[in-house]
Amino acid sequence: MGDFKFAKDKMAEVIGALKDYQVLAPKAVGDVLRFQPVEDPAQVSLDYPNTNVPPKELMFPETETLFKYRVGQTDIEPEVPDASARRLIFGIRPCDALAYTIVDKLYAWDFPDPYYQKRREATVLFGFACSEPAANCFCPSMGGGPASEKGLDALMFDVGDTIYVKTLTDKGEEAAKAMGLEAAGEAQMKAADAQEKEALAKIKRTLDHSGIPEKLPSLYDHTMWERFSDRCLSCGICTFLCPTCHCFDIQDEMEGFDGRRARMWDTCMFSEYTLHTSGHNPRPTRKERTRNRISHKYSYFPEKFDVIACVGCGRCINYCPVNIDLLDILEDVKKAEVKEAKTA
Amino acid sequence: MVDEKNLRDKAKEVLERDDVRRLIGWARGTYGYESAPVVLKDASEVDKLIFDPTCVQNPASFITLEEKKPVPRGQEPDTRKVAVLVKGCDSRAIVQQLVEKAYDREGVIVLGVPCTGVVDRRKAAKMFGDTSEPVEISEEGDKYVLTVNGEKKEAPKAELVADKCLRCRYPNPLVYDMLVADEVEKWADDEFADVDEFAGQTPEEKWKFWEEQFSKCIRCYSCRNVCPMCYCVECVVTKQKPQWTRRATDISENTAYHIQRAWHLAGRCIECMECQRVCPVDIPIMTLNRKLTRDVKEMFEYEPGVDVEAEPLLACYNPQDPEEYIM
Repeated sequence: MGDFKFAKDKMAEVIGALKDYQVLAPKAVGDVLRFQPVEDPAQVSLDYPNTNVPPKELMFPETETLFKYRVGQTDIEPEVPDASARRLIFGIRPCDALAYTIVDKLYAWDFPDPYYQKRREATVLFGFACSEPAANCFCPSMGGGPASEKGLDALMFDVGDTIYVKTLTDKGEEAAKAMGLEAAGEAQMKAADAQEKEALAKIKRTLDHSGIPEKLPSLYDHTMWERFSDRCLSCGICTFLCPTCHCFDIQDEMEGFDGRRARMWDTCMFSEYTLHTSGHNPRPTRKERTRNRISHKYSYFPEKFDVIACVGCGRCINYCPVNIDLLDILEDVKKAEVKEAKTA
Repeated sequence: MVDEKNLRDKAKEVLERDDVRRLIGWARGTYGYESAPVVLKDASEVDKLIFDPTCVQNPASFITLEEKKPVPRGQEPDTRKVAVLVKGCDSRAIVQQLVEKAYDREGVIVLGVPCTGVVDRRKAAKMFGDTSEPVEISEEGDKYVLTVNGEKKEAPKAELVADKCLRCRYPNPLVYDMLVADEVEKWADDEFADVDEFAGQTPEEKWKFWEEQFSKCIRCYSCRNVCPMCYCVECVVTKQKPQWTRRATDISENTAYHIQRAWHLAGRCIECMECQRVCPVDIPIMTLNRKLTRDVKEMFEYEPGVDVEAEPLLACYNPQDPEEYIM
């Protein structure tokens, strides 16, 4: 595909030229960043490590209406997103784009989910390579990297006064043309290569996950989980902020005779997640819930879909208020002696 | 200054007792400017314990987080005690939990840690950047000395210390079975300047502020779960039948959640500020609680979490109570 560039001080014009797309970019409220529709291209800044809330919310919103209904009426039309309304995510980090490729498998399996899939189809991903990885990033260990191209339609590099844009798919090429970008030269490509090497060297945390998916089932009753679960708050931070966590609950909301069926993020860290109508809860304590979070990502998901449901973005580590560190848990998993396991 | 050797010796002594099953304290974190809360079950583990300005968390939260599992037929319930290390602010949670009869006084062993302030990780990260290594922090006079990635850094204490410490009136634990260090002198006071400042805005300005803040909320419930006073087995915001609060994240439901959370803490919030510390989207949750704290203080001359013999505010009545809002 093509190599393009634009001057950093022309960013507002470049984004403004995307007339046929809804552009989404990181927006700050105080220190908190989230992807939002761009209202004023002049406000877009590419100066951030990563957003607090991952852009998974752009494909799979926290709360979304599936359909509306009226009691006594049978004509129900699902509110499926329009795949022809094109969107462009400007500045998505490579880890979050890689996460889409993992979640895609889930939403295409069993029952293909039109809500997720239509949004995915309609969206162009303009990635932004990392030059300053954050303290708990470990994407290279998970098959990504600060300039990973996986899942992206184009990848941007900040090379001084210029943004170098490498297009990777037809969708990316088309958007680059709509932006009116000029051709990049050898200098930008070399600078991008150098930046990728530098960024890689700045990533301090690593994980060798070989053997973990196979070992996890044997640690089902192991006491090691309690070392972490004893301080777990059972809150939703690690899962809600995870770009690959995808669980949802479906609830009906009624006002008079009108109602909607909506789905909203749910998390295996909440006690009510597995609560049965009978009152029985198969995961009654934080130990079972902690074990499930790790086992789902690193064992059940790869068993079914051949890929670990983790991209090494570090959010679950960064935002956990009680320092439950995924890499710390996985080191314990590797060290744990299976014979210590109690039988249930 | 807390001598960690003394702290560990005391903890070891407690954990070696037959009638103690766990001890909650602080250990070194895996990265950054905060320690990790830790639950120890064996005296051999006490060397993990630390106390320094990274020990911001409130260990009292973890007493009520432990699930009470049904006891299998033929077995006796485990009645051994839980030991817990607490700073002055943390100890107020224990006082209030006892006032509310959350558990028996005999069920806990409180190891008091006199404290001269803890660090706010957000302030530290702004000043010195993020780091993948755990940072060690010590206090030297009115300065903090930090070891960040092997390099020594210094910062004035006033710039790094948590907001709650800037108005700390209880640096020494209010309830304890033993202290692990000598008591310290009180160095701050609370004039509710922050409440006055916020109250100075117009209702429109305040609503604009809260609308923006509540819109950020992802309803992860970390603020509720970390709160040492939020220990209901079934919470009104997650109850399904009847469903009082919808799970949908929108400005209406998020606002309802935050107002309910704050109101349920009226006369109960002990101001450890854990709710605000844990928020992944930086909602200044304590701004609501602080207003309630002052109202409770001014209207009822009541301060929660300072007197084990007190009655809960909402469970007692005084003929002198103000009733302007009724008449």
